[in-house]
Amino acid sequence: MASFLKILFRNVLQGPSTDPFPLGETFTPDRQRGRVKINPDLCMGCGMCKYSCAAGAIDLRPQQDGKGFIITVWRNSCCLCASCRHYCPTGAMTLTNDWHTTHAEEDKYNIVEQQKIDYVPCAQCGKLMRPLPRQLAEKLYAYNTEIDRELTRTLCPECRRMLDARRNAGALETASEQTQQQTGA
Amino acid sequence: MSLNTMLKKLSVCSPWLFRINAGSCNGCDVELATTACIPRYDVERFGCRYCGSPRHADVVLITGPVTTRVRDRVLRVWEEIPEPKVTVAVGICPISGGVFREGYSIEGPLDKWIPVDVNVPGCPPRPQAILEGVVLAKSIWMKKLGLEG
Repeated sequence: MASFLKILFRNVLQGPSTDPFPLGETFTPDRQRGRVKINPDLCMGCGMCKYSCAAGAIDLRPQQDGKGFIITVWRNSCCLCASCRHYCPTGAMTLTNDWHTTHAEEDKYNIVEQQKIDYVPCAQCGKLMRPLPRQLAEKLYAYNTEIDRELTRTLCPECRRMLDARRNAGALETASEQTQQQTGA
Repeated sequence: MSLNTMLKKLSVCSPWLFRINAGSCNGCDVELATTACIPRYDVERFGCRYCGSPRHADVVLITGPVTTRVRDRVLRVWEEIPEPKVTVAVGICPISGGVFREGYSIEGPLDKWIPVDVNVPGCPPRPQAILEGVVLAKSIWMKKLGLEG
């Protein structure tokens, strides 16, 4: 008999437990998986996200003039599994905690995240290519002091290979030798 | 004000919901049950409640990619709902096919068979997202009744 009075008293103290949404604010956890976001500075167009996407929501195609590529995520097919975020080597794919995706039927094909990414000419030969993101270059060459990261990331794969071959053949001064000479002089 | 308009305005207070499972994995159905049964989300604040018969329904929530086996039954049940009705596709499966798209037994997406009004993507959508969808469906339902605002 007294137990229900206890519950009643507690409920009177606590107030209603109903979330005021959509009339008021609601709670969204920081790690809630919501809308996909692509960082155009980091995306390399490697297609790992497209390969790992369970729902086939990601499309990656070259631009019509061949001067870059377009990456598109159709959010109406995205199952929010975040495998693109997990497998993206540069960390370009992220999931925000924005879950407000409800829309009317006319907007069905407009619910996309699209980034148009342009190629940049190679610093040596001028061939169009995608420069390596600085973050990735620092990670890749973290233990190799001989390589100039800023130069290497702006070179196309062929020029990079040639530079590497020349360095290995001893025909090129390494960065460590340069510093030795500077300190010596 | 005619009696007809007055009755219409009164009936707007409570659109009844009806659920159709078109081959869903049950994830979205659990979220729909959560939206109605847990006091935290409480869809009955908007006058909505789930009804057992399609003939009583105003807003129909459809989950799941439309599978070959369930397609004709979905169409039959959907036909029984009186006009004007609002169709809400809950989850990515009825909208685009989702992870099941291009499967051998998938006849979807849903809008190939049924005119859809509201899409609520998510796998599954949050209960709050479903509430947003129901509120949008209610406004579309009022427009269909000719009682805007």
